[in-house]
Amino acid sequence: MARFWCAVLILACLELSTRVGTAPICSYGQAGCHTPSLADIFDRVIQQSSRMHGISSDLHSEFEQYFFPSKNLIGKPKCHTHGIVTPADKENAQRLGREQLTEVILRLLGAWGDPLLQLYRSMSQDQNQDFNHYSSNKALEISDMVHELRDGVAKMAEKMKLSGVLGNTVGYISPEGLVPSSSFSFYKHGELNSMDHHDLLYCFRRDSNKIKNYLQILKCTTLPGLDC
Amino acid sequence: TTDDIGLILTVVCHMLSGTSPPGKPVLLSCRSPEKETFTCWWEPGSDGGLPTTYRLYYERERLEGVHECPDYWSAGSNSCFFNKTHTLIWVDYYLTVVASNALGNATSDIFKMDVMEIMKPNVPENVTLLVVETEDSPYLHIRWEHPRNTDTESGWVTIKYELRIKQEKNNKWKEYMSGTQSHFSLYSIAPGGVYTVQVRCKLDHGSWSEWTNSTNVKVPNYVQNERSFWILVATLSAIPFMAAMCILIVKRENVKQCVLPPVPGPKIRGVDFHLLMSGQSEDSTNALIINQNFPLIVGWKDQMEEYLIVTENDIGPPSDASHCQKRKKSLIIPAGFCSDWEIQCKSTHIQNDCAGGTKNETGNFPKNNKSLSGESLSYMEPSKLQKQQCLGQNFVNTEATDPSPLNYDNAVKPFTNSGYVDIRKHVENTQEVNVKQVDYSRVEDVNGDNVFILNNKNLAFNSSGYMDFQRQEEKLSEDYSRVKEVGSNNVVVLQIQDMSADTKNPHATGAHKMGVCTELINSEYIDTIPAPPLM
Repeated sequence: MARFWCAVLILACLELSTRVGTAPICSYGQAGCHTPSLADIFDRVIQQSSRMHGISSDLHSEFEQYFFPSKNLIGKPKCHTHGIVTPADKENAQRLGREQLTEVILRLLGAWGDPLLQLYRSMSQDQNQDFNHYSSNKALEISDMVHELRDGVAKMAEKMKLSGVLGNTVGYISPEGLVPSSSFSFYKHGELNSMDHHDLLYCFRRDSNKIKNYLQILKCTTLPGLDC
Repeated sequence: TTDDIGLILTVVCHMLSGTSPPGKPVLLSCRSPEKETFTCWWEPGSDGGLPTTYRLYYERERLEGVHECPDYWSAGSNSCFFNKTHTLIWVDYYLTVVASNALGNATSDIFKMDVMEIMKPNVPENVTLLVVETEDSPYLHIRWEHPRNTDTESGWVTIKYELRIKQEKNNKWKEYMSGTQSHFSLYSIAPGGVYTVQVRCKLDHGSWSEWTNSTNVKVPNYVQNERSFWILVATLSAIPFMAAMCILIVKRENVKQCVLPPVPGPKIRGVDFHLLMSGQSEDSTNALIINQNFPLIVGWKDQMEEYLIVTENDIGPPSDASHCQKRKKSLIIPAGFCSDWEIQCKSTHIQNDCAGGTKNETGNFPKNNKSLSGESLSYMEPSKLQKQQCLGQNFVNTEATDPSPLNYDNAVKPFTNSGYVDIRKHVENTQEVNVKQVDYSRVEDVNGDNVFILNNKNLAFNSSGYMDFQRQEEKLSEDYSRVKEVGSNNVVVLQIQDMSADTKNPHATGAHKMGVCTELINSEYIDTIPAPPLM
């Protein structure tokens, strides 16, 4: 009897998975495939970056509440991405132009892939602190989102290039070339303490906000519409 | 030293007059309404009785040195306004306020902030309400504009709106999210009601703004007139409806008669239903029964009494005649067989395939081989035996000497002798054959449907000439008649024994109908009783 139900379940699962699997993935714009428009891609990417920022912001404030409840000044954290030149106000951002803005976004996203993974590993391995134990999921989530977002923005850039909106100066940027290795010096590989966690969270909260903002500017300069 | 003396004198003077250095100021908050400028406020401590000045100094990430507030006045007293040129997002500012008077200074704590964190927009503007009247139901359309000075076109900020609506009667606000749209529609509003609306907004992940001032609107209630008309109509039509219901209830018996007429009872021909109902009268019961033309039923005799038993021996491929002869077959005839038949068959030897003959017989032998006693009784399954043949259950007491002829409709030849066949109705189990010296015939075998093979015993029918059984074909204690062959439809073909000297050589011929025995040509014959019509 149990075997029978097992078999039924397996068959049902297979059927469902095949049904899911038959949806075509249009990575190359095959005929008959519904490829999302540039506006759709923009919306998705902006939504994703907004969510990513929200999670990192929550994580940071929880961290501060747990470890530094007295709210004294923790010092001046230095972020490893400070080498990336980013526009800090509206005029500068608008003056930058689409190509450079896209490049900045990609650089930022590329610079955070590895450190976030390190953060997650460090948090999940640390069994002493309850905070790390329960919040490491969030670290993993934002780590995944950074990777996805990077791919998404790259695709968006490709689409923009195809439609002529974006010039060809935006090339593929390898992660190694983005951030000079000296910036990693203050992150000891494999051994991160709470201060390091805090700095990472602090810096990423800021950078994710930048990414989201730049994407919005990019969208509104490329496709001005109701949402801008 | 004169300076020192002067200072001491000043302090003493001040102390005597109740003055002191200023108290420590406190930085309260900073706020940026549009992510392009920001303002900070502080709260001064005690001024110590002397005119005190306040200065704000700041340090900033990526900026060397300490700087002073660029604008103390645009935002009011005890504030510092940073315009666009002095505002950078995503950088940390470290602010301090220094209060100083003649007697001394006081420095506040360092206030660290990032413009990204202090966003709180202005209130939305120009909230307008409009009652839109459609055919079905009116709705409320609410519009507003983005707050002052906020740039919503470049994508630099994303504004989200929220509004709340209250009806005049109750004090509860109902809140709705509007996303990035600057309009909203509220459906299903009550005519004649007064609605109050307030709107607020927020930037990105920042704080909510204040609520706008209340805006009111009154919904005209002309729609109600229409509704009241229909209410009147409904009420008026309800009165005759209620009257009709009352009448129906009062006269419900009549209504029931009309709507649900009584179902006529059953009628039996020749029988008065009411008579039956009133009691058991002989007449009625007789009428019921007699009508059916049932034949008289002779009471069943005790099953232990004589009966015609047909037994059967083991069936096997008959090898030689001697074997066959030794076989005793006895079958019990089920009821329904032409009982009363005067078995006027001659003793026919039922020669089973001894002579290597009739295949039918072998094949038709019942499979049941139970032999009990030496009698080797066996019984046939009732299904194989003839059922409702002839006349019902016919039980004839073979022991009765006096011939008790049964009155049947058709030709029933009475026995002159007492040779009756007592047929048992249903054979449940083997019964011991009441082996008496009675005259009876045994059915030797029953084949197929309603075929039986008579087995003639030593019936003393000789005198009558009816049943002239010739036995002694073998040393059997009983005489058998053998069915020579069996037809398909209840046909029994009896065979007259050849063995006995007395035997003529009859043939069993003819096919019977159900319940009809074959008539043998010669003196040995089985009288036929035609089947009653009831069959």
